Amino acid sequence: MKRLRFSRKTLGIPYAVFLLFFVVIPMLVIVFYAFTDQENHFSVMNFAKFFSDPTKLSTIVYSLVIALITTVCCLVIAYPVALILARSKMKKKSVILMLFVTPMWINFVLRVNAIRELLNWIGLLGEANYFNTILGMVYDFLPFMILPLYNTLVKIDNSLYEASADLGGNAFTTFTRVTLPLSMPGIMSGITMVFLPSMTNYVVSDMLGNSKITIIGKFIETYFGSDWHMGSMIALILLIVVFTSTMLTGGFQSEENVRGANL
Amino acid sequence: MNGKRILSIATAGFLLLPTLAFASGCGEEKPIRLRVYSWEEYIDEGGEDSYVYDEIDGMIHDDYKAWNLQTFGSEVDESAPSLLNDFERWYEHKYGTPITVEYSTFGTNEDMYNQLKLGDTYDLICPSEYMIMKLAAENMLVPYPESFFDQENEDNHYARNVSPFIDNVFTSHTVTVTDESGNQTDHLWRDYAAGYMWGTTGMIYNPETADEDDLINWNVMLNKSYQNEVTTKDNVRDSYFVGLAILYEEELLSLRSLHESGNLSDEEYTNKIAEIMNRTDEQSVQGVQEILLSMKDNLYGFETDTGKSDLVKGIISLNFAWSGDAVYAIDLAEEEDVILKYFVPQECANLWFDGWVMPKDENRTEETVQAAHAFVNFLSMPYNAIRNMYYIGYTSAIASDEVLEYIDYMYGIEEGDEGVPYDLSYFFGYDAEIVTYEDQLSRQLFAQYPPEDVMLRCSVMDYFDTETYERINELWAQVKGAELDAWAIAVICVSIVAITAFFLLIKFGNKIDFFRTKPKKGYVKVKQEPYRKDVL
Repeated sequence: MKRLRFSRKTLGIPYAVFLLFFVVIPMLVIVFYAFTDQENHFSVMNFAKFFSDPTKLSTIVYSLVIALITTVCCLVIAYPVALILARSKMKKKSVILMLFVTPMWINFVLRVNAIRELLNWIGLLGEANYFNTILGMVYDFLPFMILPLYNTLVKIDNSLYEASADLGGNAFTTFTRVTLPLSMPGIMSGITMVFLPSMTNYVVSDMLGNSKITIIGKFIETYFGSDWHMGSMIALILLIVVFTSTMLTGGFQSEENVRGANL
Repeated sequence: MNGKRILSIATAGFLLLPTLAFASGCGEEKPIRLRVYSWEEYIDEGGEDSYVYDEIDGMIHDDYKAWNLQTFGSEVDESAPSLLNDFERWYEHKYGTPITVEYSTFGTNEDMYNQLKLGDTYDLICPSEYMIMKLAAENMLVPYPESFFDQENEDNHYARNVSPFIDNVFTSHTVTVTDESGNQTDHLWRDYAAGYMWGTTGMIYNPETADEDDLINWNVMLNKSYQNEVTTKDNVRDSYFVGLAILYEEELLSLRSLHESGNLSDEEYTNKIAEIMNRTDEQSVQGVQEILLSMKDNLYGFETDTGKSDLVKGIISLNFAWSGDAVYAIDLAEEEDVILKYFVPQECANLWFDGWVMPKDENRTEETVQAAHAFVNFLSMPYNAIRNMYYIGYTSAIASDEVLEYIDYMYGIEEGDEGVPYDLSYFFGYDAEIVTYEDQLSRQLFAQYPPEDVMLRCSVMDYFDTETYERINELWAQVKGAELDAWAIAVICVSIVAITAFFLLIKFGNKIDFFRTKPKKGYVKVKQEPYRKDVL
């Protein structure tokens, strides 16, 4: 009797099927909807409409700006935290790291609601919609920035710092010549994980900006209520923006030097 | 045969078990399956909030118990089951066939429509008026048979109990149905839909922070003294309605004065308002867009369900609301000792309703159709209508002595108190008057059962056909989307390109070192030599 054996190829089949049904086919459906009209005829009208409408362009540019500010704020806040945690000799530093990550375990809508109450208490709710939205996003995505940063920073060999000091590097030089370049994969990974969702996470802008701020994700949702074709076109354009920015930040690098950068 | 092999066969067998169980289950009598698709929290779900639960505490009266015994053949179930469970119990008791209700819910009419278009099948759904019209016009609904409306038949609870006012709306409006071969026929709304809940749109306000003298017209939404204190619904239809009402305010108000001076009959008045509130021509859409854009600046925000709690908390003082939500919000506020009121602006309001319709399904058996009709009739039994009203706060389309008694129980005065008469004859079709407290004239009772003169200025807003819907949705996108000046877009685009270039440099410009000033050829730059000292 032949023994039942699984080759690497057969083991890969379930994943291939998964990818086909949940990634490839849905994407094709989006492309199909984007380039057809209500009667399902081929049409590039949606494309033309998108780029000829100042409101739509404004909205996507606007989302880009909000996402950019969010990402920069996250990076500025997260880097020192990750660096201190990674370099400190504290025994309980994993506990502190945990404290930063714990909010992720609480339901997202609940957290945003809590911030809403807090902002209301301070008196900012309804007064500073943009600030509130960005605050909510930064709060929400901070763990996604801290974790990859911490993971890369903690893996930098201590001897590298010693070597830098040996060669006459002061703290600043060590940072710019050793720490920063070596943590680049973590930074890129963090940026990817914060930038992309903050363009589409409209729960935050709806709840903290009282729905007066429309980011591109909300826009897509609005269109999917009536016109799937336009909605798909916007989704496709967003996909292209996302793809480009991921390429730029090196998200598709498969080299080994992306160490510990992935969650 | 080795162990692994046995294991894998056993696993396969285990995986197949459910299939076997299914096959063997076919032998027994299968209960009828009734697939119902309705709004979230739109039916008495039993438990502590239920009328039955409170009834057990002796809150209302014994008639309910007698009715329960007669209908179900058993005492009131003290565990207060949901109305769906009760329906299953009732159906089996009455017809001797077991039935299971598969109840699923949707959040918006559009979601429901998309699900249907994607091929989901249901036996009964409960969309709003405009969606009923759209589904009917697209020939997606099965009409009710004439026998469903036969009042002689004691089991036709809907036909026997529906309010004449609602029935009049359903029989005075038509929808044009286009069938497969392109023939167009006009049908009454009643042919396709049985009313469930109905109401008006208006505004809830906090009388402590909003001046009642300002609360006359819809244009209070543009009133600068309420800047950042007003919210409206985050959906296109309600916002378009408000926009139209503000745009044609003068016309609507002049109709009102014509009607008041007796130069316009009730019917004409209602019809003229309906004509105005269904305008979708280019000029109206453009006008509404401008109004909504300036309204956006004045609003605290658009909301879908935060408005009620924001009002109770005192964050805002005015909120566009559906009447049922208003009742709920006023109740909620009372618990927090906040008094809220409801008003319907002078120009007009939207008359909306939700009704039970049956989407087409080729595989549906006659048995299921009967069960679906029985379900609608069951919900139309006065006590069940009361249960639903009590639970969800909306107003049922059912009018009967029991309902009137319930209204009196809820809003009538206690013995010895002073009150004002409140006439509801238009809804019940006979002399129906209760005596209520004066504050109810602007609170729950007013929201739940508006007086007749308010109903005269309420109009139904038709569905938009595909082309119109696209235009109006585009308007909505323009209102909701960001507004940036051309120069701002340009500046931002340039900076984004710059940032992109920066990343490209980092990625491909490995040779370029940002942090080093290269020393001249042949020299080595040494900045610090801390260790040399130590060595020496």
